[in-house]
Amino acid sequence: MKDLGAPLLFRIMEKRKKKRLREPNPFMGPPLKCAGRLRQIMTRHYYLSRFAKGARPVAWVTSGAPVEILRVFGFYTIYPENHGALCGAQKMGPELCAEAEKKGYHSDLCSYARIDLGHAFSGKTPAGRLPRPDLLFASNNICQTVLYWYKQLSHQWDIPLITFDTPYNFQEIRSGDIHFMVRQFEEMVPELEKISGRKYSHKRFQKIIRIAAETSRTWGQVLAAMKHRPAPMTIFDAFVHLAPVVSLRGLPVALEYYRVLLNELNERIEEGIGAVREEKKRLMWDNIAVWFKLRDWSHLFAERGVNFVAATYTNAWAETIHHLTEESPFESMAKAYSLIILNNNLSHRLKLMEKMIRDYQVDGLVILSLRSCKPYSVGQYDLKRLLMERLGIKSLIIESDMTDFRTYSEEQARTRIEAFLEGLGV
Amino acid sequence: MHITRKEYLLEQKEKGRRLMGVFPALYPREILWALDIVPAEIWDPPLEIRQAGAHLQPYICSVVRLGLELILQGKCDFLDGFLFPHTCDSIQNLASVIYDFIGARKPCYFFYHPKIPHGHTARDYYLKNLKALAAELKRQFGPLKMDSLREKVDMGRRISELLGELYDLRAARRLDASNEAFYRTIRKGEYLFPDDYIAELEGFLTQTRSEESRNGATIILSGILPNPPQILTLLDDLDVQVGHDDLLNGSRRLLISNEKPGDPFEYMAECYFHMPPCPTRGSSISDRMRHLLSLINATGAKGVIFNVVKFCEPEWFDVPNLQEELKKRGVPSLVLDTELNQGLSGQMKTRLEAFIEIVRVHRESITTKH
Amino acid sequence: MTYFAGIDVGSLSTEAVIIDEDATMLGYSIQETGADPVRAATEALREALSLVGVSREQLHHVVATGYGRINIPFADRKITEISCHAMGAHHLFPDTGTVIDIGGQDSKVIRINAEGRVLDFTMNDKCAAGTGRFLEVMAGTFGVPVQELGELSLKAQKEIPISSVCTVFAESEVISLIAQNRPREQIIRGLHRAVVSRVWGMAQSVGIEGAVTMSGGVAKNRGIVALFEENLGHSIHIHSEPQIIGALGAALLARGEIHQK
Repeated sequence: MKDLGAPLLFRIMEKRKKKRLREPNPFMGPPLKCAGRLRQIMTRHYYLSRFAKGARPVAWVTSGAPVEILRVFGFYTIYPENHGALCGAQKMGPELCAEAEKKGYHSDLCSYARIDLGHAFSGKTPAGRLPRPDLLFASNNICQTVLYWYKQLSHQWDIPLITFDTPYNFQEIRSGDIHFMVRQFEEMVPELEKISGRKYSHKRFQKIIRIAAETSRTWGQVLAAMKHRPAPMTIFDAFVHLAPVVSLRGLPVALEYYRVLLNELNERIEEGIGAVREEKKRLMWDNIAVWFKLRDWSHLFAERGVNFVAATYTNAWAETIHHLTEESPFESMAKAYSLIILNNNLSHRLKLMEKMIRDYQVDGLVILSLRSCKPYSVGQYDLKRLLMERLGIKSLIIESDMTDFRTYSEEQARTRIEAFLEGLGV
Repeated sequence: MHITRKEYLLEQKEKGRRLMGVFPALYPREILWALDIVPAEIWDPPLEIRQAGAHLQPYICSVVRLGLELILQGKCDFLDGFLFPHTCDSIQNLASVIYDFIGARKPCYFFYHPKIPHGHTARDYYLKNLKALAAELKRQFGPLKMDSLREKVDMGRRISELLGELYDLRAARRLDASNEAFYRTIRKGEYLFPDDYIAELEGFLTQTRSEESRNGATIILSGILPNPPQILTLLDDLDVQVGHDDLLNGSRRLLISNEKPGDPFEYMAECYFHMPPCPTRGSSISDRMRHLLSLINATGAKGVIFNVVKFCEPEWFDVPNLQEELKKRGVPSLVLDTELNQGLSGQMKTRLEAFIEIVRVHRESITTKH
Repeated sequence: MTYFAGIDVGSLSTEAVIIDEDATMLGYSIQETGADPVRAATEALREALSLVGVSREQLHHVVATGYGRINIPFADRKITEISCHAMGAHHLFPDTGTVIDIGGQDSKVIRINAEGRVLDFTMNDKCAAGTGRFLEVMAGTFGVPVQELGELSLKAQKEIPISSVCTVFAESEVISLIAQNRPREQIIRGLHRAVVSRVWGMAQSVGIEGAVTMSGGVAKNRGIVALFEENLGHSIHIHSEPQIIGALGAALLARGEIHQK
């Protein structure tokens, strides 16, 4: 049993690599060379997490939380949402969701939450084993759901939960709101010192802030490379390469990785290599990825000469976090984290999408309507209508879940996608 | 008072008062009253969804869908503005859909309340938000006189006392009122101006206060609101009384504070942090459990019914843990997954009746043991 | 001699059972409910009475259960089918700790105590997955009588998993599997698995204790029973007429009421 440790991940990915070598997709450009490096980084992260317990304090963190402050105290961070995506990609969503449903959690609830609770109850995971946290750290800047969800874990394991409360930006973020968030950071510091047994160091914090801002900026440049025609990568790649900026942000490894990736993309641009061999149409994606369909759909669209070049989702980690400044770390964190797309009003989202459609020369929009994610999904019907009215942009709404494919209908989705592509003339 | 909600609101408008459509759930009504604004809360308008489906997906809860439908059908045209408290993700985005996209052509206000645990930071922020809301409303509906605010705070306090008395009498089985009548009366507070509501509650108290102790089984009703109302009438038919509730539009909004009102804003903040636990304010599961048990102890209830609005995330997340804890203590509980104004299907009636059959057996076995 | 009757008015069929004061079942009748539940109930009772040669006047007490119970004018009392299935199953198989009832429109899992009283129960939500209706729709898709589905599923050595929980989605999934020429028996076995997993999931929320008795029309489907037994690791009690357990329980409760008084 000694090898059960090296996460299944490794083997699965090896298998995939072989498969890809065996049957290269004739409609797609050469795969990114960086992909191997990314696999190593993420596998290493999950692998090491098993030895973190005891050696370093472990925190479970929501994807939009200001993780920089945890890094000062050396927390080893695990992202249940990232783990949920991994389970989704491994097609384990329904199995883990069912574990939570057995305990009475309704199947209408967010599937990331159900997967995570299902994992907490059953220990099942494709990542070997996840260390139990010493701290739960949640911010409602992505949804209120994470508060309800983390509260269950906190109750189940009797582990402290720190909430970073970010007032919703209905019209404007006021000075009182900023002050409220800064005060929360100030109160967190002694608590984090207690849990981690380490002292706060302003100097270390400034360095982390600097790296995090730079990582977010570089990630933004990686995405911006897709403005080029043909785009050197697809959004399906970006969904995967997103992992470091989400879960390793503030650590040098993430920044280094994106620098390498950016170099590769620039080389591809120079050589005219596109992710899709014959790029006829360019699309934008709205919402979280459908993890269990990533590969199928990237092929489906590539076959028609269609590439996804932008997504509101991948953009979320490039939009505000690069505004962090070491001069005023708390205040800049309060602003950056409360103004992310899901905590911002829909007027802002409309303008952002318009800008992206123009900047990336987008021909059509695919909107994923997600029962699991209310803040992302409520308002999409109006966004679709307004973008059509203002820019004449065609769009398609797909109903699916990001991981739980029991509520997904392949036939329905395929028919819709094909009809949409026919409408685009490809 | 035998006029409809709409007639009442129009009558208030005639008197020169302004009307504010308020979405669920927690907001400082005293500030509105002091500005001579009548809050008309929008929980479960009796409508068929025809137009809201063009803006909201089918998996959004019926509180949010019906609220939007009310606006789209032009039934809010006589209102002077809308207020959206930050209750959940769906109401948050609904506020933006209405303000940014649909264009209510009326002033829209947003009220954020903190989700972190009670402490100085949360309290200071809440206080600041109360004042910010007052200032914003004043600009449109002013002036706001402190005397008037103090008077309305007192009225709010009087309302809480009356409601508290009604709840206590019911818990002690000394209230001669059907479940249906109780909630019909209580829920008038969703649109009556405070003086009228006080009169209504006082009248109801006089009518229903009873010297004789009531018999029959008692349960606790938890959830967002007592809808479908058929739950209440079915319980009435089965001779079961709701002994207490843990409803967001019921006892979870009871403002109870032992402090004498000094500064009205300070007092309102005090009340907010003393409300019974609720997931929309970030309460922990143990706080909710402690509260539920205290309601069970106070009433001798033999079971808990969780009537949960379909797709309501704040409620659904807590249910499994609460049920499990109740089970450990031998208290039977039932979960109903309901949509507003959809009545009770035969299947749901069966579930409710079967649950009452269990509660009765449970009760008998306990009585025989004693 | 005094007699008692139980009538179970379900969405598809209506059953009447007659018992005597020793709780012995004398006879029963099964009718299609159709559009008129009262007529079906009247007819079922009439037929059951004539079968056992008892007159209407000799009946002491009548309990109605099932969806149509509210409208039955000649019932002395109405009790939910949850309590009735519990009592009926307990009477037939006294070691029963858990009753799994899969009917036309709903499915339930009921935990009962040693006296046949309900301790806890759960029912499916609005969705038809995990009910007889689901199998009926699928039988239609294959163009085979629903009674034959169980036998067909037992013929399969392997099964093709069906991932959708929604009846409509599952149907389109099945149609595309048929289009791919996948073996019919294997798809059918996958469908049976889907029903069983759904109900099994429900069962976890109340827990399975003691011997398991299955009631309802779907209990006649051997494919479903086999998969449940596979999950459980032991056999399940099935009565030769599993549909009448609700009506039997109603009759027993009718008798119990009189005896208490």
